[in-house]
Amino acid sequence: MNTRAITDFASQFGVQIAVNLDLMVESAERFYLVNFALKPLVRPTFFSAGVFLGKAKEGKFFPSFNLLGMLAKKEANRIILDKKAAWLFICGRDILRKSIVRVQGPGKKDTNTLVFNEFGECLGFGRIVEKLRDSANDNGIVVRNVLDIGDFLRRER
Amino acid sequence: MSGREFFTSRYEQLGWQYQEVTLKQAIRINNNNSKGKKLIARLADLGVHLHKISFLDSGYWVLDSKVSAGATAEYLLGMYSIQEAAAQIPVSVFTHLKGKKVLDVSAAPGGKTVHLADLMENLGGIVALDVDKWRLNALVNHLERCRVSNTVVYMLDARQASTLDIKFDRILVDAPCSGNFAADKNWFANRTLKDVERNAGLQRELLTEASNCLIDDGEIVYSTCSLEPEENELNMDWAIKNLNFQIEEIYCNGEKGLTNIFGKQLDPSIKRCKRLWPGETQGFFVCKLKKRSLQQ
Repeated sequence: MNTRAITDFASQFGVQIAVNLDLMVESAERFYLVNFALKPLVRPTFFSAGVFLGKAKEGKFFPSFNLLGMLAKKEANRIILDKKAAWLFICGRDILRKSIVRVQGPGKKDTNTLVFNEFGECLGFGRIVEKLRDSANDNGIVVRNVLDIGDFLRRER
Repeated sequence: MSGREFFTSRYEQLGWQYQEVTLKQAIRINNNNSKGKKLIARLADLGVHLHKISFLDSGYWVLDSKVSAGATAEYLLGMYSIQEAAAQIPVSVFTHLKGKKVLDVSAAPGGKTVHLADLMENLGGIVALDVDKWRLNALVNHLERCRVSNTVVYMLDARQASTLDIKFDRILVDAPCSGNFAADKNWFANRTLKDVERNAGLQRELLTEASNCLIDDGEIVYSTCSLEPEENELNMDWAIKNLNFQIEEIYCNGEKGLTNIFGKQLDPSIKRCKRLWPGETQGFFVCKLKKRSLQQ
């Protein structure tokens, strides 16, 4: 099984994750992590199993919220938003510099960052399109929304 | 044999006077995801006011809400699920779920699967079955939203559950059923006694297969949201006479199961079942069956 997509994705946030191949299962390019208690219950015909990590499609990797949660537990790059911006992010909006309360990590342009609310909960991730610090334009978009938890509602439409 | 008069006269014969019911919205807190989060206060800040449901451990009525309770960040982070109050009962009557192997028959859209995982603290394993792909997608979205990590999902008719070759400690048979008028405004217009009897037959098939997959001394919790005795007390009477089950006492909201159905006397242990007539909640029926070991 090729887990490179997962480890590469994690490295975009400045962290390394190790994936135990014995506990990974795959179905139709969807990757799952199971534990030792669950593994004996997995048959080849499963629809989903354990923790869904993400899916590969046409060479691109689409992470799950579980995987983002795993990165969030590590020292992954992140920004913390104020209350209003956190809600707008969940609604699919991009992030303005003035909405960012705190930055953890280098915040370099063209890298990914996790997006947190003020309660320390991961709401998704985005792509940094402008330097997060040292800029005069507070109203400019600095992080493009890539994935947010509002996706759970959009999927059901 | 159908229509409002036909069914309401049956309910009267069973001792309940028909009344119109307006259901209140309820939520169930997912304790694994909300520990230390001050969830009730956070929701109150958003204008979602809750009141504890006296007969549930983690259930709350939504008294009033300025926002949709199904579209808050807290909901999307899996801190709670929207789940009708009576539907929160079945999972809560199992004994010792943590670390067990549990089968969830007809699992989609996953409210009870998530409840199982929450009580199991994501330890042990759940196998969740359903036959409809669209409903399965709703189930796996629900599992992902609520950070459930101990569940394997199969697109499989539960009547073929033994093909998985797994023996389970606990089985939830929240059976497909005829439903009830409190949850479906057109119920009386759409249901006939024939539908009820067809569903009762399917439920017996599910119970039979569940019995095949259960360890000795294992437990089945059987539930429906039907008011019809063919799907409830009569099926339980059949199960104890044909599948080597005994009915266990359960402590939850509801009235005793009926032991006399239209003049037919049932096994006295049927009174250990719980029947909820519509009112505070929708109509519901719950029963805990224990498989007798071979020595018994």
